[in-house]
Amino acid sequence: MQFYRVSGLSVASEIDLPGLIAGAPGRPPQVTIRRGPVPESLPAPSASGPTWQIAGKQFLFHIPDIARFLLNDGSEIVVAPESEASVADIPIFILGTVFGILLHQREQIVLHASAVRVNGKAVLFCGASGAGKSTLAAALAQRGYPLVTDDFCTLTAEGTGAPLVHPDGRQLKLWAQAIERLDLAQSRGERVRASLEKFYVEPSEVFTEPLALGAVYALREARPPHAPGIERPNVVDAALLLRRNAYRPLLVRRMDQKVNYFHAATTIANVAGIFYLTRALDFAKMPDVIASLEAHWLDLRLMEQAA
Amino acid sequence: MIRTIWLASYPKSGNTWFRMLVANLSSKDGKPVDINDLPERGGIASARAPFDYLSLIDSGLLTHDETDCLRPRVYEELASGAEDDEHDGPNDIPPLRFVKVHDAYTLTPKGEPLLAGRRGADGAIVIVRDPRDVAPSLANHNRGSVDDAIAFMNDSNAGFCVRTNRQHSQLRQKLPGWSAHIASWVDQADIPVHLIRYEDMQADTIATLRRALDFAGRPAGEDDIRRAVGFADFSELRRQEQDKGFSETPHRPGGLFFRRGETGAWRDELTVEQIARIEAAHAPMMRRLGYELASAPPLARTA
Repeated sequence: MQFYRVSGLSVASEIDLPGLIAGAPGRPPQVTIRRGPVPESLPAPSASGPTWQIAGKQFLFHIPDIARFLLNDGSEIVVAPESEASVADIPIFILGTVFGILLHQREQIVLHASAVRVNGKAVLFCGASGAGKSTLAAALAQRGYPLVTDDFCTLTAEGTGAPLVHPDGRQLKLWAQAIERLDLAQSRGERVRASLEKFYVEPSEVFTEPLALGAVYALREARPPHAPGIERPNVVDAALLLRRNAYRPLLVRRMDQKVNYFHAATTIANVAGIFYLTRALDFAKMPDVIASLEAHWLDLRLMEQAA
Repeated sequence: MIRTIWLASYPKSGNTWFRMLVANLSSKDGKPVDINDLPERGGIASARAPFDYLSLIDSGLLTHDETDCLRPRVYEELASGAEDDEHDGPNDIPPLRFVKVHDAYTLTPKGEPLLAGRRGADGAIVIVRDPRDVAPSLANHNRGSVDDAIAFMNDSNAGFCVRTNRQHSQLRQKLPGWSAHIASWVDQADIPVHLIRYEDMQADTIATLRRALDFAGRPAGEDDIRRAVGFADFSELRRQEQDKGFSETPHRPGGLFFRRGETGAWRDELTVEQIARIEAAHAPMMRRLGYELASAPPLARTA
């Protein structure tokens, strides 16, 4: 059994999950991950999709040819590999969608975002797969803003103050092209799956303490009608933006979390700020993007003027 | 089930023009629809977001083939009325979905239709264009030479978004050559097909659109059709692109999506050799579609 901390939760797992912060054995874990039989379907599901079913406090998720997963009430993940050959491919999916579903079962706010640390606070970059979250986080890390989390990001409310972001030491995942263009070959780790040219990249620093949320940016490609720049949407659009950038927005609807996300958006818009960051998807433009972010962080007083 | 019609075409064959025509059937305030404001729903079948949204799987963690195996499930789900990620439905679900698709009509590695056959759509409007006019337009779109475009159109392993060292914005689309692409659609037996030639759409837009709408089961009044044809006229589309840009314009200085929009422009855009190469590769399908060959007699088969 391995022990980890994932998004602030203590996890005991029969399956090795590479790159996570080690947790302390001893006290009962909040989440257990084990191998075991998983049914083909659930009785009387209340919602379902092409790869998943919900029935009561159970969630069944199927990745064809890789594994079936049964999630029980936000505290247990049962994994049934489809074949022995697929076992090595399972961790990357547990760390992604499967844990994302579990966090929804626990009614947590979980965003499809990567985050870096800016002057002691967490700055988040949200977007769909392929929006450039990890690439931007990697470029910012090179510039001295260390990675807090990659791909998904859990927020917990702290009274009326800024929500907390829970790092879990996960590594960046980058495509071969991004590693080459950002000159990160020396930090390149294992492939995330043997069949993909997508690699783990070692972070320069690992955190364990939660950070206060500093700002949230939704990434958008600069294409007509959207010109490059940073803008602040009105509060209604900000709430919609946050929900659409939930980690698996369909689950926000199907698991009745819309109200939670609306409240979270209101708090974040007030205490931190929700913005669009529109830029060309072009490695050559990265220095300009970082310069515009730094100027914005000065405006937001997230960063001090250099002496 | 929402009635779903694929708008299937090889790239640069008039698919976007057709979508602009349909969008302008419901234009408001007596103004043409904004070219950047086409409803995303039914944007393109190979869009990545609806796949990730409905399957809950990050398609960036799957190989192209693994993704293809799951795509039929996503198209079934969308055709059955599932919302995609852009819409708040169910109130704004239209009675009919037109969905652009550039993928050839192929089978997945598991042997089922990629586009889910009858469960994915009720029919397909297949739009074709003279390959000699497609080539210069495709060269412009791909930011390459006309010769490269011709090679692409002759390549049975070609496709869009095929690389494996990065994540493309769309899912992989197999484009196994101009002839084979069209054959894959018009010769499949899963769903009914209505064939449109770009050239006929130009020669008589109103009649061509009316017949296509009849096939699709999208009723439209004669006035609406006339207005839509005016609002989606090439000069209007081009004016909008030049004024404020178009989201699908190729990324490069001076790049234009709505380039010439003519038929027969190949006569002054292609060399004799280029014409011969296209015709040698595609003569049977060109004849089948009524595109007269220029290089007569056809090149003798060598080797």
